[in-house]
Amino acid sequence: MAGASRDQALALLAAANNHGDLAVKLSSLRQAKDILLAVHPSFAAELFPYLVELQSSPETLVRKSLIEAIEEIGLKAMEHSSILVSVLLVFLRDGDSIIAKQSIVSGTNFFCSVLEELALQFHRHGKVERWLEELWVWMVKLKDAVLAIALGPGPFGVKILAMKFLETYVLHFTSDANDFEKSSIEGSGRAFNISWVVGGHPVLDPASLMSDANRIIGVLLTLLQSASSLSGCLTITVVNCLAAIARKRPHHYNTVLSALLDFDSSIEMVKGHSASVQYSLRTAFLGFLRCTCPTIMESRDRLLRALRSMNAGDAADQVIRQVDKMMKNNERASRDARLGRDDPPSSQLSVPGDLFRKRSMHQDNEEPTNGHGMTSKRIRYGHNMHSASHVQMSDSGQDCASANGVSPKVPLLDNDLTPVEQMIAMICALVAEGERGAESLEILISQIHPDLLADIIVTNMKQFSKVLSSPIGFGNLPVSGQTGSSSSPATAAPTITMQSSVLPAQVPFSTAAATSMAHSEMSTVINLPPDSKRDPRRDPRRLDPRRVGVPVGLQSVHMVEDTGAIQAEFDGSISLSKPPSLPVVTSVENTSTSLVSKTEGDDKILKNALISETDQPISREELLDGAKEVDHIPEIGATSDAALSPARTIDEDSAAPESLDIAVADGADTSPLIETDQHSPARSNTYVSEETSIDLPLPPPYVELTEDQKIRLKKLALERIIDSYVYSRETDCSHTRMALLARLVAQIDGDEDVVVMLQKHVLLDYQGQKGHELVLHILYHLHALMISDSVEHSSFAAVVYEKFLLAVVKSLLEKLPASDKSFSKLLGEVPLLPDSALKLLDDLCSSDVTDQHGKVLRDRERVTQGLGAVWSLILGRPLNRQACLNIALKCAVHSQDDIRTKAIRLVANKLYLLSYISENIQQYATDMLLSAVNQHISDPELSQSGSSDQRLEAETGSLETSVSGSQISEPGTSENDPMKGSQSVQNISTVEFHQAQRLISLFFALCTKKPNLLQLVFNIYGRAPKAVKQAIHRHIPIIIGALGPLYPELLSIISDPPEGSENLLTQVLKILTEEKTPTPHLIAIVKHLYETKLKDATILIPMLSLLSRNEVLPIFPRLIDLPLDKFQDALANILQGSAHTGPALTPAEVLVAIHDISPEKDGIALKKITEACSACFEQRTVFTPQVLAKALNQMVDHTPLPLLFMRTVIQAIDAYPTLVDFVMEILSKLVSKQVWRMPKLWVGFLKCVSQTQPHSFRVLLQLPAPQLESALNKHANLRGPLSAYASQPSIKSSLPRSILIVLGLVNEPHMQQSHPPSSLHSSDTSSSVHGATLT
Amino acid sequence: MKFRYAMVCSSNQNRSMEAHSLLKKQGFDVSSYGTGAHVKLPGPSLREPNVYEFGTPYKHMFDDLRRKDPDLYKRNGILPMLKRNSSVKTAPQRWQDNAADGPFDVVFTFEEKVFDMVVEDLHNRDHVLMKTVLVINLEVKDNHEEAAIGARLALDLCQEIEATESWEDSVDDVVSGFEKQHRRKLLYSISFY
Repeated sequence: MAGASRDQALALLAAANNHGDLAVKLSSLRQAKDILLAVHPSFAAELFPYLVELQSSPETLVRKSLIEAIEEIGLKAMEHSSILVSVLLVFLRDGDSIIAKQSIVSGTNFFCSVLEELALQFHRHGKVERWLEELWVWMVKLKDAVLAIALGPGPFGVKILAMKFLETYVLHFTSDANDFEKSSIEGSGRAFNISWVVGGHPVLDPASLMSDANRIIGVLLTLLQSASSLSGCLTITVVNCLAAIARKRPHHYNTVLSALLDFDSSIEMVKGHSASVQYSLRTAFLGFLRCTCPTIMESRDRLLRALRSMNAGDAADQVIRQVDKMMKNNERASRDARLGRDDPPSSQLSVPGDLFRKRSMHQDNEEPTNGHGMTSKRIRYGHNMHSASHVQMSDSGQDCASANGVSPKVPLLDNDLTPVEQMIAMICALVAEGERGAESLEILISQIHPDLLADIIVTNMKQFSKVLSSPIGFGNLPVSGQTGSSSSPATAAPTITMQSSVLPAQVPFSTAAATSMAHSEMSTVINLPPDSKRDPRRDPRRLDPRRVGVPVGLQSVHMVEDTGAIQAEFDGSISLSKPPSLPVVTSVENTSTSLVSKTEGDDKILKNALISETDQPISREELLDGAKEVDHIPEIGATSDAALSPARTIDEDSAAPESLDIAVADGADTSPLIETDQHSPARSNTYVSEETSIDLPLPPPYVELTEDQKIRLKKLALERIIDSYVYSRETDCSHTRMALLARLVAQIDGDEDVVVMLQKHVLLDYQGQKGHELVLHILYHLHALMISDSVEHSSFAAVVYEKFLLAVVKSLLEKLPASDKSFSKLLGEVPLLPDSALKLLDDLCSSDVTDQHGKVLRDRERVTQGLGAVWSLILGRPLNRQACLNIALKCAVHSQDDIRTKAIRLVANKLYLLSYISENIQQYATDMLLSAVNQHISDPELSQSGSSDQRLEAETGSLETSVSGSQISEPGTSENDPMKGSQSVQNISTVEFHQAQRLISLFFALCTKKPNLLQLVFNIYGRAPKAVKQAIHRHIPIIIGALGPLYPELLSIISDPPEGSENLLTQVLKILTEEKTPTPHLIAIVKHLYETKLKDATILIPMLSLLSRNEVLPIFPRLIDLPLDKFQDALANILQGSAHTGPALTPAEVLVAIHDISPEKDGIALKKITEACSACFEQRTVFTPQVLAKALNQMVDHTPLPLLFMRTVIQAIDAYPTLVDFVMEILSKLVSKQVWRMPKLWVGFLKCVSQTQPHSFRVLLQLPAPQLESALNKHANLRGPLSAYASQPSIKSSLPRSILIVLGLVNEPHMQQSHPPSSLHSSDTSSSVHGATLT
Repeated sequence: MKFRYAMVCSSNQNRSMEAHSLLKKQGFDVSSYGTGAHVKLPGPSLREPNVYEFGTPYKHMFDDLRRKDPDLYKRNGILPMLKRNSSVKTAPQRWQDNAADGPFDVVFTFEEKVFDMVVEDLHNRDHVLMKTVLVINLEVKDNHEEAAIGARLALDLCQEIEATESWEDSVDDVVSGFEKQHRRKLLYSISFY
């Protein structure tokens, strides 16, 4: 078995070495590997030399596979693997980076396994085998080689892995402080660290190995320092490796951190992609922040500073996440809140035995600012966790208790706390941590969402007022006196309710429990130990409005404020350090104490009020209001606080004097303005407040403000905030500002002034978008109130909301140009659009807007703006969609053209495409169309005196003029019947036309989008009144033009037109054929229509130019049968023809065709035919003498001769006397055809002859004698001249005797008798000839 | 294609899927993930997003939203997007929960926050394979248009990376060149599997 597999393996290895095919090589190697793995290590070892031979294989892939095989086999047969490891060493220097990389990877694995084996072997057996020692020597060589790679030149990919190896190496040879936890969790080979190595190990010397590891760290640090010569990716790798080491090996954390911080400050030097390099630092620092290891925790400040300087806003998230964590801790802590404090938190130096506790305390205290990764990391603290957390809970419980001063209730109620209250609790807890918490607090506040922050402030206000409203008696001291300010206590009610509506969640508190709750909360906020009089109260009370302030640049305020905070927090920690002074007190005591402390606070407030509002007598009843008023002030303070927190921390030492300076400056500037109050809180600091309290006379405990004062204060507060905008645009506090403004506006019941003020402010800033944001903020807040539970407030808020929105919207319209998008943007983004806003929009779009002077402003731009807004609202506000659509539709039938056009463009081009409203639009347009039709039918029909015929005439007339200006139409058609009424009809129709136009335009606009709507137009056309038809005719060309002739819908309508729509159809066809050649398809449709449904040849007229001669001829009689004007059209088309085919018929052919029509056979009145002929003759440019001659020439050969032939001849000679010779020829031909046998023609012949004398004499003389006789009898006037002519000797000689007898030239006496009457008749004949043309 | 790619955004819906879809079409070996806690899709308002668990099939979301308000979700492109997504793979996958998907060579993220999470997650894993992975952040706004642009850029970048002998040697140049050419900021980091 062994032998067989040995042979097989040998064969395979040989193949892997020598085979020509790479795939075979690889698979052979794989199979060989499998065999080697399967057999006993000692057997396998025999084959190792053969395996090793493969290292010289030229193929990269083979070598790579070889490394993998070596790793697998070597690890299994470790005893024999030193020969294999030597291959790895060789490959480390392989030219191909893939091989080098793979050998580092495999080498690392080897290294770890060997190391573990070394440790374990000694551990188990107390000795280390020789082969292992040998292997270790190889490993050390390997390490050195890799280190050389890391430091030397080479492909970066390899160097990166080399650095990773170094990281692993360092981790292995540095002790893991947490190893007892780690090993239990991870347990894998990776968890090896030097602490596994038992002392006295024959091979491994922990001390030297650790120092080697330190050396490697040094190498990495040096690499980092020389980053300017490294590539970016190497630098990043170094940073990552160092960070990993620092995180896992706290011993080295400080070294690494300093190096990284140094590196951070010299980041510009870096080569490669510096943004990414810096980001790797950021990642490293954030990673550190997530660690819970004490060493790392201690450096948090440095980390935060570094992170902030690189704008790592991410830290924010973490703090927030920790906040959650802390919240949970608070909850837990609350359960143990009453536990005694036997372990003061200040005892940082704990005995070694206390290690865990210490750590956990750290954790607990630091958590607020700590990384979120804690959850996962904490698990590593494993089994100790439980006890630790226990201690920790009690700890924080104490903290909390001390921080809150006296609030055992807080914990009890904790579970029901709203987020706001939780935040307050947390802030308080942070404050309680004193100095340590200061920065965290700062971060926390800077990261609180503006809305939440504002809520916190407003909630605090509520506490104030509640506390104050509790029935603790204070003398009611007239503090200030504003004359005549009387007020009713009832006014207090709305304010309170308002506050509670700000935070709906707090509604429960208004129950009986409210008071006590309020106390506890208050104390949370204020967090003042009752025993420390001068006290951490300053902390929230840095908002204390005690100092008469002067508006100072906000920046400086911030700085000072910061100091104030720090000092206050410092105070807090002082109070913490007085543990014994904090006995556990009952809730009753708490209440009273907090009230007392509260009172103190109020004292100060009142003092302040005294200063600032001197002469304002305040009545006792207004206690509550007064408090509330003052409460605005803290709000502002908090705002600026939040604003400053992102700012850099200021060194306490330097800041303190600074604040003093400012206080002094303030003093100089002091002016008794109320507004100043609002700034002063931002600057409270120990210094000044104490001074003030000394300087001031004993303050009255309460200030009660009148309603007026209240309002004034509110406004002033608003003004302040708004004014401060101007200065603070660059700061980050704008969000908080907005949130606060929103809440304030909600509290001030829609006062006009306030609205105006805000309006101005908003406009001022609108361009910068700040105004917009602010408005939205306020509106959203109001809206939130509106939809809150309380009916009372919601209606109130609704009023304010509407008022404010309208005011802003109006001012936007007034102040900003119409092209500004702010208007529609605002409407689109506000939480709710009240009806009044829609009304305004409606007015803007469609009604006349008047300005202040009553002048009508009809600005087209504004209409566009309004419609634009409507459009965006339809898109963005499903709730208001219908209302907005109605506005748009209303405009679309507006009587003013420009508005209508704009609206129609919007509706048809934009809105109609929206599937959800297209139905509505279509319906509306249809309704309008129908209403136009119906309304008109009723009215104008009555007003029109004429018959329907007459109307029809007028209609066609207008059709012609409006549509076919180019056509040769008789201009007088419509005036052909100039009835008296027609003029008035004309007048009415202008009005009606406009009306119709107004109503149907929209529909037509839609038709261009949806051609099958045209069907309806055709359907109603028949019954539509004239004005509507006229309007339709006006529109049709446009729409047809837009659709193009190929539109299937249109074609289908054409193929089956509804009754009554023939005129329209004709127009459509005319338009279709006017510009371009109609398609064969269209022609086919029309022809089909003509043949089947609609016998009216009118529809064919537009097509005629495209029909061939053979097509035209059959329908020619029908064309003749049309009214004259239409025939004229047809004629024009026929003659015109198309560019390609030429005319269907030549003019001569037309004439012939006309003549070929037989009245009997074709059922056409002769009159029609004669009219047609006349029509031809009218076109003298077309029907030239040549044409006539040609036609006549053709016709004369026809048998039978056309009925009207002679008439045409007469007309021809009449029109063109020059044709006389030609006509004579014709006449001669007729004579030869025995024209006298055709009675009707004979008459005409004679007429013609008589008319054309004397030219016709020759022809006359050609007649046989009897016919001549009869001719002369009929036209006696011919006789004389003819005789005279014939008597010329040359002619006479050629004449037969019979003729001469007829002429009386042969002296036949009875012939002579007819002579006299001939002269008598001559005038008659001429007149009759004249008449012939007219018949 | 010699590398294995991962596209990561927060919900594994828009940006990462756009890129996934595009790269897949181009024949890349690509997967996609999200790093968020949940899959969030826009709802009727900002405050009412539609929230799903990772692993919920796109098809399911599609049906759900179509039932809720077909017009809205069609108009804002969510339905088309989901449809596209379901043609790429079954369901959104969470990056952190799919470590077992094995080593990628290049991971693209489309948001700094996501980049942070991916890098942090990689750092916290045990680097057993010692296989380097390049994580690149290309900031892309989370809307359809930008996602489309972002995906094309990602593709460009992938192609450039593919074209290099070994990305480690040229990543600085590639990244800087890309930034110059497209005027987009990139971040990259290196981690291990």
